[in-house]
Amino acid sequence: MTRIKRDSIAYLLIIGFCLLLLAWAIPTYTPAYPGYGASAALVPNVSVSVMLFMAILSLIRVGIAVYTNKPVCSEEREFPEEMDQDGGFTQVGRVNLKHLIYTMTPSVLLVIVIEYIGYELTSFLFLMIFQYAIGCRKWFQMTVLSIVMTAVLFIIMRYGFGVPVPGPQIFPQIF
Amino acid sequence: MEMIIAGLLDAISPASVMFLFFGVAVGVLIGAIPGINGPMAIALFIPITYYMTPLTAIGFLVGLNKGAFFGGAVSAVLLRTPGTPEAAATSWDGYALTKRGKGEKALRMALYSSVAGDFISTVVLIAIAAPLAAVALFMGPAEIFALISLALTVIAGIGTTSICRGLMAAGFGILLGLIGTEPVTALPRLTFDVYQLGSGLSLIPVAIGLLAFSEILLQLEKYTAKGGGVHIVHVFSKKLEDRMISFKEFFANTKTLLRGSLIGIGVGAMPGLGAPVASFMSYDQAMKRSKNKEEFGKGSLEGIGASESANSSVVAASLIPLFVLGIPGNLAAAMLMGAFMIHGMQPGPLLFKENAQLMYGIYGSLMLASLFLLLIGRFGLRFFCKAVNIPAMILYPIVVFTCIMGAYLGKSSMFDVGIMLAFGFIGYFMRKFDYSYVAFLIGFILAPEWERALQQVVIISEFDTFMFFQRPVAMTLMALTFFVVLRTFWVSINAERKKRSVAASEQIKSD
Repeated sequence: MTRIKRDSIAYLLIIGFCLLLLAWAIPTYTPAYPGYGASAALVPNVSVSVMLFMAILSLIRVGIAVYTNKPVCSEEREFPEEMDQDGGFTQVGRVNLKHLIYTMTPSVLLVIVIEYIGYELTSFLFLMIFQYAIGCRKWFQMTVLSIVMTAVLFIIMRYGFGVPVPGPQIFPQIF
Repeated sequence: MEMIIAGLLDAISPASVMFLFFGVAVGVLIGAIPGINGPMAIALFIPITYYMTPLTAIGFLVGLNKGAFFGGAVSAVLLRTPGTPEAAATSWDGYALTKRGKGEKALRMALYSSVAGDFISTVVLIAIAAPLAAVALFMGPAEIFALISLALTVIAGIGTTSICRGLMAAGFGILLGLIGTEPVTALPRLTFDVYQLGSGLSLIPVAIGLLAFSEILLQLEKYTAKGGGVHIVHVFSKKLEDRMISFKEFFANTKTLLRGSLIGIGVGAMPGLGAPVASFMSYDQAMKRSKNKEEFGKGSLEGIGASESANSSVVAASLIPLFVLGIPGNLAAAMLMGAFMIHGMQPGPLLFKENAQLMYGIYGSLMLASLFLLLIGRFGLRFFCKAVNIPAMILYPIVVFTCIMGAYLGKSSMFDVGIMLAFGFIGYFMRKFDYSYVAFLIGFILAPEWERALQQVVIISEFDTFMFFQRPVAMTLMALTFFVVLRTFWVSINAERKKRSVAASEQIKSD
């Protein structure tokens, strides 16, 4: 997929999202007008309208360039890596879904599981899995780092800030 | 006078000094690591400032930011990989010197230039912020609304190649900033019946996700794509003249340092421009006025001085619009604004009236931070050079785990961790699709204040649509806002036309 196609799909999705917000979400989830001041829906409607207008404008711009057969600027047609260029300030480039799944999954699992099996075990497992997911295969290094980070953060939260660690305590008598 | 003395005494209290020192040291260390910058460091460490006093917290975070600006020069000089974007110009001459074994000399020049620029801009901040704030007190809701509108349109253009995408990002940020309790009716708005959203989205998890977590996702992607990083062993020359900067060498660049500092102050005081602009502008000016133009890019100490003095002077200067008007001029100032709000203070002109002692304490901390930067940089240089060599396989899991626990610390809630992960995901896509996360974050932070000002205008004027015309300052600012929007579109259209004609001629050549 070219960059311009990808961006056009993104604009369409943004337009759909904005229409959904304007037609349903904002009217349903904002309080009724109390009779003074500005309506609670005014600023949300304005900001979503700006997003909608800009997305439509961008889509029209791309559409005109494509249908009138005018050359599209090379930096919008291609991805920077295909032109051997840096991604710039925002690191523009292709989305690597596989990488995203590998790196996000341990984090999402941590949030779900920590309330059931506690901070100590979850953090240790998370760090082990995360390091494995990013390609580390040095088991000793992985184990030491996981234990050290779990312990250090535990000490900082519990004894440094007096904040309870998330989830049930597996060693309440000790800690 | 007593207030000033009391504030300065607070600044030199043991806890404030200790955390300030720690902040500068950690900032240099973090800035030296490629991929982690000042605003990201502030986002990561803001949660721990919950448990500090306001002065200690702000001092720590400002020290962190100042340290990070110099820290970016370490990896720029040694690896040609700027730790922070504003150090890019430093890398051109710094790395050239490293290749000749003079890396330590380049780093010392970067350090002394950073300290000089930072000190000068701190003095300017102290001199002009309070008088400007007194003038700003005459601004009413109409002026504040117009000013924030102007700031939002200026900022929408940064961090992206397209103004349309910038405005979309800013609009999205404003929308999410309004989630929570509506200020007039005090009823929930856009919470989707999720009770945890009743107080809105917290800044800390949003900032950590957007700035830190998404950045790490991108860094990891590059790292795994390249099959791991390449470590460079640094060899510093044993000759004294290749390691040290003499007084003669430093003072020969006085004009460059002063010019760089003034450019940094001017750029930093204006919302939306940022340190990279100051750094490149100063480098460009130094090169144009130098007697040794041909040395630039090949190891010129003047080039390093120009870049570092400008980017470091942005730090204190960016606090001018924050303290005077309550409007963050850049990402780091936006994060500091969040820190103020966490401690129950609203940055703006009233800060000088209601928290004068704290403000003088912050000034004292800013001056001390410059001194600590000099000491830490001077004696810790070799240690910080080792920081750039931390293996990615050790660094990235630490940073990710710190992001998760940092997001948890604020409200002891895993819901906030979920928010952080969601914004990490959103931030990743925003960067890949070239939507400005800077505009998003600043829109998110300014939205509640913007709406509050609008509500006040509407209530006070009783729906009088000509109210803005009765307030000349507000009218001027609104006119300026429309002008900025139109001009940005005009510049963008012209740039587009130029690019199309270049693309057309390329196509003709290839045909």
